Amino acid sequence: MVSGFWPPTARNSVSCVIELRELTKRYGGRIAVDGLSVRVQPGVVTGFLGPNGSGKSTTMRMILGLDAPDGGEALVGGVRYPDLNWPLKTVGALLDAGAFHPGRSARAHLTALAASNDIPGSRVEQVLRIVGLSDAATRRAGTYSLGMRQRLGVAVALLGDPGVLLLDEPVNGLDPEGIRWIRDLLRGLAAEGRTVFVSSHLIAEMALTADRLVVIGRGRLLAETTVAELAAGHDSLEDAFFRLTSQATDYRGVGAS
Amino acid sequence: MNGYGFRHVARMERIKLGSVRSTWWLATAAVVAMAAAGTGVGLGYRSHTPVATAAQILNNSLGGAIVAQLLLGALGVLVVTGEYGTGMIRSTFAAVPRRRVVLAAKAAVCGGAALAVGLVASFAGYLGGQLAIRGTAIPAASLSDPAILRAVVLTGGYLGATALIGVGIGTIMRHSGAAIGTLFGLMFVPMIVAGLFGESGIAVGRFVPLLMLLNSIAVTSPIPGLFSGWISSLLMCGYAAAAILCGGVLLRHRNA
Repeated sequence: MVSGFWPPTARNSVSCVIELRELTKRYGGRIAVDGLSVRVQPGVVTGFLGPNGSGKSTTMRMILGLDAPDGGEALVGGVRYPDLNWPLKTVGALLDAGAFHPGRSARAHLTALAASNDIPGSRVEQVLRIVGLSDAATRRAGTYSLGMRQRLGVAVALLGDPGVLLLDEPVNGLDPEGIRWIRDLLRGLAAEGRTVFVSSHLIAEMALTADRLVVIGRGRLLAETTVAELAAGHDSLEDAFFRLTSQATDYRGVGAS
Repeated sequence: MNGYGFRHVARMERIKLGSVRSTWWLATAAVVAMAAAGTGVGLGYRSHTPVATAAQILNNSLGGAIVAQLLLGALGVLVVTGEYGTGMIRSTFAAVPRRRVVLAAKAAVCGGAALAVGLVASFAGYLGGQLAIRGTAIPAASLSDPAILRAVVLTGGYLGATALIGVGIGTIMRHSGAAIGTLFGLMFVPMIVAGLFGESGIAVGRFVPLLMLLNSIAVTSPIPGLFSGWISSLLMCGYAAAAILCGGVLLRHRNA
C-alpha cells in the first residue's frame, strides 16, 4: 500500500466514481468546456489528454467547486463537491505546484489543511515521508525547487487518504526520477481501488501511466477509450492523438522556413 | 461525526495565521508603535508649561493608534489577499468548499488576534505615557478611573474592528496592494473631506473612523458633537460587519 490508512476492500467503489454531466463553462464569450459528459471509474488510472487550452484545468477546477459551471454538473460519488462532508478525505487534488503560501513551512501548510478536515497530525508526518519531504518540512515552502513543490502538492492530495485523486499535470517540472516516482505512485493508488484522474498534454507519459484515456479538444469530448484502442491502426499513439485533436486547437504553427 | 464545521476551519485559520512571519511583524510593530508614541508624548510634556492634565497625557499617548490601525488593518487584509496572491486560496477552498465558513473563521481568528494585540498595544501606549511623566507634577491617570479604562479598552477594540474591516475589504478586492490602498484611503480621505465642511463637518465627521478614534474613542471625554466612545466603537463594528457581509456575498459565486 502506498499511503496506508484503510485496506482497499474498505472502499466503496460507487462513492469513488467521478461523473461529469453536460459540464459547460464560458469565460466571457469564449467557451472553455462544452457539454462534457464523462464517467471516471475507480481501480484504474484515467489519463485526461488534450492540447494546451483544451479545458482540462477548467474541468478539474469545476470538479473541485473552485469554478462554478455555467451548465451541467460535476459529481463525485453522486455528490456535488461543495456538499461533501469531508472533502479532503474524499478527493485529493494537485492543481498547481504553487497553491501554498511561500512563507509557510511544508509542515505548517499540511497541518493547517489537515485541521480543517479533522485529520490527525500523525498523518501529516506520514505524507511527508511518502513524498520524501520529511527533512525539508520546516523550511519555508517558497525556498523549494519546482520538483519539491510538486511533491508538497502531492502530499496535500494524499493527506486525507482519499478514494479519488485528481492531478493536473503532476509531472511538470519533475526530473526523470520524479516522473517515475509519480507514475509508480499513481499506479499503486489505482491498484488499491482508488479513482485516479490525471491530466497531461504529454501523450508518451500517459501511455506509460494511464489505462484509460479521456481525450478532449476545445472543451469537447473527442474520445473515451483505452491506450491500446487509441493506438490501434496508427503508427504511434502520438499520431493517433494528433489525428484526433488536429481539428480542435485554437492555434496552429506553420513550418519555420 | 457529520462533516467539518466552523470549529475545524477556525483551527486551520489559527495555524495559518501563526505560521507566517508577517503576522508577528505586524503585531509587534503595532505594539511598539503605540508604546513609542505614548512614551514620546510623555517625555515631550515633562517640561511643558503650563503643567499638562491627566486627560491631555492620556489622549495624546494613545495617538500611536493612528499607525497601529494601519498595521492591524493590513494584517486583516493580508489574511485574505495573501491567499489569493499566492494560490493558497485554491488549497483552502478545496479543503473547505463552503467558502463562507472560511470567511467566518478568518474573521473570528484574525479579529480575535487583532483585538488581543490591539488591547496590548493600547495598554502599552498608556503605560509608556505614564512611565515617561513619572517624577513630574503632571497628575497620573489611573486605570481605576472608568473614563481612563474605557479609553484604553475601546482603543484596543477599535484596532480589532479595523482588522475586521481589512478582512472584509481584502475579500472584496482580493489583491493585496489594491485592498491595502483602499483601506488606507478609507481611513484618511473621509477625514479630509469632513474637514472641508468646516464647522458643520462635525455632522459627517462623527461617522469617520479616524475622527472617532482621535476625538471620541481614545479620549477621556469625546469632544462635543461626536458620539460617545461606546457608540463610536459600535459604529466601527458595524462598518466591519458590512465589509465582511459584502465580501461574503461576492465570495459565493466567484471563480477561485
